[in-house]
Amino acid sequence: MMSFIDRLLEQRARSAAQQAPRRGMLKALGGVLVGASTLPLLPVARAAGPEAASRPQESGSDTDCDYWRYCAIDGFLCSCCGGSANTCPPGTEMSPVTWIGTCHNPADGRNYVISYNDCCGKPGCGACLCQRDEGDRPPYRPDKTNDINWCLGTSSAAYHCSAAVVVGVAFEE
Amino acid sequence: MFNAIIKGLMLVLLGSVPCFAADDAMNPERAKYHYQMFCQGCHTPDGAGANAIPPLKNFMGYFLRSQRGREFMVRVPGSALSTLDDAELAEVLNWSIDNFAGVSLPAAGYTPYTAKEVAVLRTQPLQEIENHRASVLAEIAAQESQGAES
Repeated sequence: MMSFIDRLLEQRARSAAQQAPRRGMLKALGGVLVGASTLPLLPVARAAGPEAASRPQESGSDTDCDYWRYCAIDGFLCSCCGGSANTCPPGTEMSPVTWIGTCHNPADGRNYVISYNDCCGKPGCGACLCQRDEGDRPPYRPDKTNDINWCLGTSSAAYHCSAAVVVGVAFEE
Repeated sequence: MFNAIIKGLMLVLLGSVPCFAADDAMNPERAKYHYQMFCQGCHTPDGAGANAIPPLKNFMGYFLRSQRGREFMVRVPGSALSTLDDAELAEVLNWSIDNFAGVSLPAAGYTPYTAKEVAVLRTQPLQEIENHRASVLAEIAAQESQGAES
């Protein structure tokens, strides 16, 4: 009886070994290890907050000036400077004091409240200068102008680049 | 005669109940949106402020402890000169108090701002803020310490 079970198990094991790629498990395990190591581990500043987590459906590239969130931006795009539309490049600090406007998202047809957070603490990035200015007002309306340096709540006033963070959905009457 | 007295009393009682016009009804989504668009840029998402930007969080309720303080929150340029209409400004002030005043709110609560009240106060925007703010807060602190002693 025992020899019959031994033979059966041996046949099944040989059959499985012949059908399955022998390096399959190593390959899968290697993929997981390498993939995990490429996750961003650098301590970059993020526009944290519960609303920042709920991102709308989007289209386009955040390194293009015509990306929908940049409708009112005036500055260097952080996504071309080692950061992203939501995050500052390493070594810079995101200003908590921002100017805020709304942009229309063509992917879902809704308007969103966008916070233009400057990233500060290094000289101007110099890449992907983008000036669109929708809703921009002259400096006598300081809360609605993008012509001033918004590095106001940071330890350094040196402007590096601008992020465009979705902070909510615009209220429609 | 007795009925007339009862009717009169009821009218007096009804008249004393605070009532708000329809345009003073709070719409939290609209209020939050207006906060984001007109206040959050400087006062930050949670009202904590930053550097020279004064905090709303756990602080703005102190201003409700005196009439001058109550008026101050409407007369500051960010409120008085904003493009919000009177009802919207009253609404965003009440929403901000409800969401940010926290421990600073008077124990007895507060009377919400109305469009009518705000309309009058914002006609006198403050030209000088820092000294005025300091004097309002000093007045409230003195008033509170007097209240604690008595």
